[in-house]
Amino acid sequence: MGERATSHAVTVEVNGEKVSRIVAARQLLVHFLRDTLGLTGTHIGCDTGNCGACSVIVNGKLVKSCMILAAQTDGATIETVEGLAQDGTLSPLQESFHEHHALQCGYCTPGMLMSATYLLRHNPEPTDEEIRRGIRGNICRCTGYVNIVKAIRAVSRRQATGGHAVTAAAGEEV
Amino acid sequence: MLLEQVEYVRPQSLDEALEILANDDGAAPLAGGQSLTNVLKNRVASVDVLVDISALGDLAGITRTADGGLSIGACVTYDELDRSAEVRQSHWMLGEVAAHIEDQQIRNKGTIGGNCCLSDPTNNLPPILVALDAVMELRSRSGRRSVEAADFFKGYFATALEPGELLVSITVPQMPERSGAGYASLAVGADAKAMVRAAARVTLDRDHATIVDSRVVLARVAHVPTRDAEAEARLNGADATDDAVRAACAGVADGMQPITDVHGSSEYRRQMAKVMARRAVDQAIAAARGGRNGSSAGGN
Amino acid sequence: MTITSAPVTGEATKTWSGRSMPRKEDGRLVQGQGAFVDDGGMHGQGYAWFVRSPYAHARIVSIDCGPALAMEGVYAVLTGEEAKAMCEAPFFAIAPPPGSLMQEWPLAVGKVRYQGDAVAVVLADTRETARDAAERVVVDYEPLPAVTDGVAAAEPTTPLLYDEAGTNVAWHGVYDYGDVDWALENADHVVKLDRLHFHRFTSSPLECNGAVVNFNRGTGVVDVLSNYQMPMFAAMVVGPTIGVPMNKFNFVTKDIGGAFGIKIGFYPQIAALALLSKKAGRPAKWTEFRTEHMLSAGHGNERTFLDIEVPVMSDGTILGLKARAFDDAGAYLHYEPLGAVIWSQVVPGCYKLKHVRVDYTEVVTNKCPVVPNRGYSRMQHLWLVERIVDVVAHELGLDAVEVRKRNYVQPEDYPYETPNGCIYDSGDLPRSLDLALELAHVDEWRARQRELGTGSGRRIGIGIGSTLDSGTNNFGQSRIINPELPFSGNGEAAFAKLDLFGEINVNLGTTPQGQGHETTAAQVAADILGVTPEDVTVSTGFNQANNSYVGFSGTYASQFAVSGLGAVMGAAQKLRHQIVKLAAFALQAEEEEIELEGGTARVRGDEERAIPFIGLANMVYTNNAGLPASLLSECDLNARYVYVPPFEVPDTVAKTGNLTLTYASQVHVCVIEVDEETGEVKVLEYAAVDDCGKRINPLVVEGQVHGATGLGIAASLYESLDYDESGQLQEPSFYEYHVGTAMDIPDVACGDIESPSPFTPNGAKGMGEGGGAPLHAVCAALQDALGGGGAVVSESHNHWARVYELVHREPGAPRGVEVITRSGGLANDAASL
Repeated sequence: MGERATSHAVTVEVNGEKVSRIVAARQLLVHFLRDTLGLTGTHIGCDTGNCGACSVIVNGKLVKSCMILAAQTDGATIETVEGLAQDGTLSPLQESFHEHHALQCGYCTPGMLMSATYLLRHNPEPTDEEIRRGIRGNICRCTGYVNIVKAIRAVSRRQATGGHAVTAAAGEEV
Repeated sequence: MLLEQVEYVRPQSLDEALEILANDDGAAPLAGGQSLTNVLKNRVASVDVLVDISALGDLAGITRTADGGLSIGACVTYDELDRSAEVRQSHWMLGEVAAHIEDQQIRNKGTIGGNCCLSDPTNNLPPILVALDAVMELRSRSGRRSVEAADFFKGYFATALEPGELLVSITVPQMPERSGAGYASLAVGADAKAMVRAAARVTLDRDHATIVDSRVVLARVAHVPTRDAEAEARLNGADATDDAVRAACAGVADGMQPITDVHGSSEYRRQMAKVMARRAVDQAIAAARGGRNGSSAGGN
Repeated sequence: MTITSAPVTGEATKTWSGRSMPRKEDGRLVQGQGAFVDDGGMHGQGYAWFVRSPYAHARIVSIDCGPALAMEGVYAVLTGEEAKAMCEAPFFAIAPPPGSLMQEWPLAVGKVRYQGDAVAVVLADTRETARDAAERVVVDYEPLPAVTDGVAAAEPTTPLLYDEAGTNVAWHGVYDYGDVDWALENADHVVKLDRLHFHRFTSSPLECNGAVVNFNRGTGVVDVLSNYQMPMFAAMVVGPTIGVPMNKFNFVTKDIGGAFGIKIGFYPQIAALALLSKKAGRPAKWTEFRTEHMLSAGHGNERTFLDIEVPVMSDGTILGLKARAFDDAGAYLHYEPLGAVIWSQVVPGCYKLKHVRVDYTEVVTNKCPVVPNRGYSRMQHLWLVERIVDVVAHELGLDAVEVRKRNYVQPEDYPYETPNGCIYDSGDLPRSLDLALELAHVDEWRARQRELGTGSGRRIGIGIGSTLDSGTNNFGQSRIINPELPFSGNGEAAFAKLDLFGEINVNLGTTPQGQGHETTAAQVAADILGVTPEDVTVSTGFNQANNSYVGFSGTYASQFAVSGLGAVMGAAQKLRHQIVKLAAFALQAEEEEIELEGGTARVRGDEERAIPFIGLANMVYTNNAGLPASLLSECDLNARYVYVPPFEVPDTVAKTGNLTLTYASQVHVCVIEVDEETGEVKVLEYAAVDDCGKRINPLVVEGQVHGATGLGIAASLYESLDYDESGQLQEPSFYEYHVGTAMDIPDVACGDIESPSPFTPNGAKGMGEGGGAPLHAVCAALQDALGGGGAVVSESHNHWARVYELVHREPGAPRGVEVITRSGGLANDAASL
């Protein structure tokens, strides 16, 4: 990785699976995920890093995958929406989004779920205002955010009463 | 979304990075990338090689300086600033400004160095750094130098950085006793890009009744964060009261020519500069009295 | 007969319609397994990139594709002139002359007419190469003066976009109902407003447009995999232009990441991609990017109302209105001038206005073409009506609630015929308003408002937005624009099928973008077929090969609950009839004795005599020897049904007729706080009461209300598309166009009233567009905050600087309103009018 070049070998662990590829230096992480790895759950909604549809978790940090190069992620652990459900069981947030009708067209949903997952890992019992701050970087055009906030709130409450773990995704402890 | 062909390199040391930057005019340092990536997507700047400095240890971390100030690595992220106990203890408002930059994703990647080096007049951190008398520590292959924040920002996307030079850290001196900082923005949406910003720092006398020193910094009013020396002069020695502050800030931005755009006219922005300055100063006074800033627990 | 158990699960027959149930679609969408357009592709595809004009108005002097073609990996470049040469005709024009002379081709020919106009398109082996190559297409432009003002555009001295048309006016017409001159002469008061302006914005679906198009040279079939929301409209427009008959198109949609009407606008791109594919001999995949979307995908209609006059009686009865309207269609007439008649679905708004004259002018300007945008064309007019009602109340010192209640169409008035012959089907507006006021805690806010008084630097404002969501268009209204058009009525098609192993499948011609059609269609079919919604598979999206479409198929204009579900009901009932007939034969019973429950047909009262659906399917598909031919010919277990709403052709001279089948109503109440020092507005509380008749899935309905509310609030305070004098868009990406975030848009308290429609098969009304109610409510709240004697809120978009100006209006400066009070006018007995 020390050499300057227009393409680089990267090895990353995506949703628990190790993959190695040669990537163009100019390739954004979101295109690497979608076009190279075929993980099309991560979406593209803008071209300025404003919409959050491409949000993923890299090394435990929530990021917009359109705002980093794939080459920068060599050695990283990456979590995408495809890794949220475990063995066919939806994560509590996925389940709650379904129950509360927190998605309509579903295009923002993967990024929104990643942001919500990250939020609850760091703040298991957020206030409504904290929930809204937590998803500030994710644009939804369908729901007015009303049911998204409700769905996230519901998971955090369940958690507060000792129900479910925040997320079944790989990565840090809650 | 699709970038031009470009090279990428991740140097293993600061010296290696400086070497590459010195040898290639087309080299651009890549830190958090939260602005540069957009520039590359838009293809508005031509870059030969992206020099990834984000993992260099020399640019990381927040440390307490011997004199009680902060030394902040250029690649410290907004989120790290927000969550840093050190920052919150001595320069609470700096953490608070960082906490309100756009969104969590950007805060997780965007760096204090990047926020300054882009010198985008809408950026959040430059005015507060100027108000806090921060000093930018620059390195190049041939040496190092320090530039006061007030002199660092030169214009739209222009800074005091010479070719081959890199911002490596920012030193924020300890705030004098009985001091506080304030910050006010007028933005299109919550935590969004601002039309006008103002940052302030005041130091009060022992009785908390009179302002003995002040900084009033306006942003997005001129091309660079600008200290309003006249307002500061009016504040220094004035009573720390609403009326006195209001009077002192009434002339803020007079004679300046902020831009007119779809969000408002130059005149509107001038008016708003007065309001934001006053609010920032009011906050700063409250903070100085509350001891929540800089002046440590003994500030009261 | 040996019968194995059918793969039908679930509970016994229940009423699924009317229940809130989470959606069937969600499972794949929450796992990132949706099938959005960029997720798919075709074998051997290239990637397309459009070369777009940086100028708003310019002559194309030359295009040099050489440098692009010389690049490795570039398959083809298609220019406007080349594309035109491959076409048989320009796109079909809705307008008569002069609008029909404003021709549009797949790519710009001779001239560019807005910033973002496509002059060429490149096809290459990768996305990156396509963009790299597009930058090397060298276009020489000769700039021309830009026309950016929708009113000035109509002046004879203004430069022309289309020399051949001789005017920038695409269509002009006068809508004149009742006798507004008489009303103005005889009313107690005439309220005059100089100018009201409804701004340009876009609901900007989060997924941009996209298509993969293959022109198969061997078969002549054009496959279009896209997220287009009205596929047969695209086929009807594109087909004659590129010389492809309907039976050679294969339009397919899958999951669509929001559309809001905007995705009706990209048929020129589909045409260009088809030609590019034809030229290159391989499929062309195009994924629009956001800046491209903002510049060229289509914006909502901008409309300016001038010289507004409103006759009012002293008791607050509003007799009507008179106005001139200038609608700015942008550079090409993509769907316009249909908007020039569509507004007239709601001529009097929610009120009993009797005398209305609107002089309507549709103009072209050097801006992005407009396309339908949630609330299309009606919300602009409804906003006008709401502003009028609100201003009347303020100017005459009347209570804004009482003026509305006095003028509302009353519950006992339904079915109510409007001055232009539209029939409002049902509703209860006064009760809706009361409920909304209660949900928004208006009494408490009024008290707080008084408490706050003046001098605090903060003001509270309370506003009402009453509006209509007219649904299920009568396309005959297009003839009011152009009597030659061969359109009227409407319809939707559906198929219900019992498949080989007893599975139930439904497909239909709609293109859902989040409205949950897979769920609601399954609810409706399940009730009819005696199964659960889980047992009903509803195909995702539109597929021309399914043959379940009519000319108007798609998802737009608030109609699914009526036309879509009407078609599903009809198809399911036909299928049920066949199932019953087959079961009666198999079980040797009378048809009347057969009941369907849990995926089994049984004889009522005799548990022994039953046959599961798989058994019936087996009889028809794979085990039919010896069955009576008459039975097999009647029962093929494939039931197609087309729902056609009851419409007549409108009177094109009088401009009257029933233009839409249903009228859902929305009453919103908004409480805001204004910071006097800055003009910042914060929404403190928001309530929405929706009445869309019988709700099939209340959870989904409420979601639509939330969404329409969020978009409207964002449009009223944050989102605006502005051009400078040279025609440069000032908000060409999400960086500049501040889309409302979770921190900007408040929670919404929802209330509901169900006034079933007497005109629909299920009592439901189309809904979802929401009539722009938040724009009305926010403006009214702002007006309230300004208080008596304040300036008129004359813009639909009120950013902080504008609010600041309103708050700090110079004393004596024009307020934009005048009230003329006549002594000795008619007696205040409004009822006699």
